[in-house]
Amino acid sequence: MRYFAGIDMGSTAIKIALVDQQGSLSGHTVVPTGSFFQKNTLEALQLLLRERGIERSDVAYLLSTGYGRKLLPEADETISEITANAAGARAIAGSAAIRTIINIGGQDSKVLLLDADGHIRNFVMNDKCAAGTGRFLEMTARNLGTDVGELGNLHCRSSGAPLSITSTCTVFAESEIISLLARGHGKEELVAGVHYSIARRIVRLARQIGIEDRVFFDGGPALNSGMVAALEDELMLQVVVPAAPQLTTAIGAATLARTAWIDTGEQVNA
Amino acid sequence: MNALRRFLNNGDINRFRLWFQLGAFGLLIYGGFLAMDIGNSLPTFSCVFVDSRAGACYLYPLQHQVNMPWSQFSGGRGIGLAVGLVTFFLFFVLFNKAWCGYACPLGTVQDWITKLRARLGIRYSLYANETFGRLKAIKYVLLALLILLPLGISNSLFGLPKLPRDLATSYCMICPGRTVLPLFTGDASQLAIDFSSRTMMALTGLGMAITGGFFAGAFVKKRFFCLFCPMSALQYAFSKAGLLRLTKQGAKCTRCGNCSRVCDVGIREIADDVTSRNIVQDDCMMCFKCVAACPESHCLAVTFLGMPVYEATAEGFMRRTKRRDNHG
Amino acid sequence: MDKERRERLIRTTGVHLAMEATETLRQVVEEFPDNPRAMDYFYDLFRAEYCGGGAKKNGAMRIGMLCVQAPEELIRAAGAVPVRLCSGSHAFDQAGAEFMPAKACSLVKATLGMLSLRTAGGAERLDLVVNPTTCEQKKKAGELLEDFGYRVHHLEMPPAKDSEEARIYWQRSVKKFAAVLEETTGVRITKQRLAKAIRTTGMARSAYRRLHELAKWPRPLIRGKDVMLVTNAYFFDDLDRWTAAVTELADEIEQRRETNLPGAGKHAPRILFTGSPPIFPNLKLPLLIEQAGGVIVVDEVCSSSRLLHDQVAYDEQALYDMVPAVADRVLKPCTCPVFLSSQDRVRRLLDLAASFAVDGVVYQSFAGCMPYALEQRSVGQALVNANIPMLSVETDYGPDDQGQLSTRVEAFIESLRGKARKRA
Repeated sequence: MRYFAGIDMGSTAIKIALVDQQGSLSGHTVVPTGSFFQKNTLEALQLLLRERGIERSDVAYLLSTGYGRKLLPEADETISEITANAAGARAIAGSAAIRTIINIGGQDSKVLLLDADGHIRNFVMNDKCAAGTGRFLEMTARNLGTDVGELGNLHCRSSGAPLSITSTCTVFAESEIISLLARGHGKEELVAGVHYSIARRIVRLARQIGIEDRVFFDGGPALNSGMVAALEDELMLQVVVPAAPQLTTAIGAATLARTAWIDTGEQVNA
Repeated sequence: MNALRRFLNNGDINRFRLWFQLGAFGLLIYGGFLAMDIGNSLPTFSCVFVDSRAGACYLYPLQHQVNMPWSQFSGGRGIGLAVGLVTFFLFFVLFNKAWCGYACPLGTVQDWITKLRARLGIRYSLYANETFGRLKAIKYVLLALLILLPLGISNSLFGLPKLPRDLATSYCMICPGRTVLPLFTGDASQLAIDFSSRTMMALTGLGMAITGGFFAGAFVKKRFFCLFCPMSALQYAFSKAGLLRLTKQGAKCTRCGNCSRVCDVGIREIADDVTSRNIVQDDCMMCFKCVAACPESHCLAVTFLGMPVYEATAEGFMRRTKRRDNHG
Repeated sequence: MDKERRERLIRTTGVHLAMEATETLRQVVEEFPDNPRAMDYFYDLFRAEYCGGGAKKNGAMRIGMLCVQAPEELIRAAGAVPVRLCSGSHAFDQAGAEFMPAKACSLVKATLGMLSLRTAGGAERLDLVVNPTTCEQKKKAGELLEDFGYRVHHLEMPPAKDSEEARIYWQRSVKKFAAVLEETTGVRITKQRLAKAIRTTGMARSAYRRLHELAKWPRPLIRGKDVMLVTNAYFFDDLDRWTAAVTELADEIEQRRETNLPGAGKHAPRILFTGSPPIFPNLKLPLLIEQAGGVIVVDEVCSSSRLLHDQVAYDEQALYDMVPAVADRVLKPCTCPVFLSSQDRVRRLLDLAASFAVDGVVYQSFAGCMPYALEQRSVGQALVNANIPMLSVETDYGPDDQGQLSTRVEAFIESLRGKARKRA
């Protein structure tokens, strides 16, 4: 049996997905990026393969993607996370006819518009600024002395109106959050306010290229139920969130690795 | 075929035209000495007042032919009018308005005057765009009068009394072709005012004034008279049917205006219109200087029956620029 | 400015400039296999100009121009050498930041920085600077140059170019400029001198057009990063030498026609580049496109195709006809977004996209450049209607956005691959 690996080297976490010859997911893992991302990546891959009882030599094609895609010499090929993300959504959602993908990553966020065949028609990314990205959520959690995973619960517990976060810059927003807390505002409303602020930003970005139903929401922050709720409110649409939203891009890369291997095989045979 | 096309496109149509005009002038003005006669329905000013002409300008017979009572239009004379018109059309349709740019003796004379002026280093003058728009209408007025006046001699138009017979060829009496072209055969007899009647006196007097204007105008303004020419107006009515055409591919046009800049009659549309395929305007004389000045490959082209005969190419443009400079 | 500080600024900026230039040249030369041999002339030219302290400037008077709209034919006919001053250096951008608001366009700031230091990039010795009144930032930059001590002629331009009034206004403006030139150089512009200038620049333009035409070949024969170096060299290189080098390059490319350019086969997406001009050493975006596997087969920028495409035609060899002809050449076909209408630019882009079999368009607008940002919408719409994908990129001379840009550019190129394969 041959396997194909997709490695998404993000700024916050490294995501690895394996698919088999039929293209079905046969394993995945997520590890923090850390400073020695190359070493961490290879270790995580080895661990995953051992768990699944797969030999390294059975991995026929390795495709890297994400911000650090070019820093992995072991990769057979690199691909941008945008293409990989679209391929992942296509593989996961199947016949669900996804037309828009909203991805919030560790340091950027992007919106992809797909055609009926699931190919990219247009896309936009945020500017070189961390506002409206996962980093913004991390900063919020840090200032509240809580974990990112808790943000969703806090949001859901909020009873009053979400607080309005006016600063669009992460650095200024940080001091704004601190001062809001100092003025005695509730954590819950503040978290909800942060979620709405991010959602509003990304929806504004999405409107540049147009939003078409259905909308697929992925990336780590999609695990956050508060974030999902805020986004749905701002979009005025229901969104599809996959079971493991942070893995979509890695799964896409693995799927593309399989296709690439088949294509090269055909070329060799031809 | 490609080599031939490239050779033609690299050619200098202005030089070709210079010689062609000279040949056409000689033929039309002196052809009669060789007993040549190509009929009297020519779509160009081969003036009937030149004794040695090789054919006659259609405007002269046209004025005569429409000079008949309404009742005769359906009779034999009506057929004569129709035959004349069809002959004119057949001549015209072949070369379209290139008759003006390549054959018209009066046009050629104006081009010679322009050459003289340029050689003297005297600046040309240009019309402002609005003036141009107003002046161009004159030729249609002249064409209308050219047909209505003879009609008014044989018929009572709009309840008016019938007009005097002296108005029969009224246009020819004021046309500078009548006064200027015979000069080339040494005949200055037309340069006079006819005092036989008040009508003739007025007409030939006006003719003399226009002749003066013709020379003065041609000296400061390229193809000055052509803007008022009723032949040009009559031709334009049939121009869309012409087999020879000037075409434009608007998509290739950068609107650089080179074509319009070299245009002797100052047509702006040639540069600014990017949608029309057939780009011949009513003042266009199809001299094709614009094609030679266009640096965009396949943008402007001369076609005959849809086949490109001479096309603008980047290569041809550069060849002409270099050649011109070497000739000084 | 305090003398010592100024000297330090000059030194540090010089170091940064050489670093930038070296890095850009490294990417241009080393990251691509099989560069045309005739490109060595241009690589060496830039190395000498930017990394070796600048080539020696010969004795002729040097007239700087801030935009393409100054008719170079007149400058040459007046016996002077035109130098295009627009700078692409991040080091100069930082040096120029003190004269302009932070949100101003990198190109204008860099040009100001260069001219404030007078050390390189053509600013060493200038007898006159022509400032065609294009965008507001360039206009104000021109005004600042007077404070720097330059002799500046503001070449007044109309805000639209379609009307007859605009054309007449511009022709008068150019006529006035001709008089200023004569006064500056002490050389009379005669019809013979102007005819020669029109012919020699016309030949240079012809040589460029030949190179341009070769890019229509189904397999890309030359990369955009090289073409942009060639056209950028026109900013400051000797006219005859440049024309000879381009002719040699075109000859070599013509011979290559049968061989496939390695790394850029017929499946490589063909890109049309438009928007704010990439000027050496800021070839960031063009390089990213070609590093990602695309090939820029054609561009519509004022540092390249718009600089060299249009040709002069005149009817009578006399100044009364030739000076307006030269004026028309820079105004009428110009697709600069400062003009009222974007129609000509849209038409030009659509024609280039069709005739060069382009798979996608990359639209660069420098942060702070309003005119290009404003036209993005109408251009984008026209391209959507023509079913041509477009990637819009807002960037500046800073290196910070490199990572994010490369992701966007790669994704765009990847999305075009299917289309390119279908075409081939």
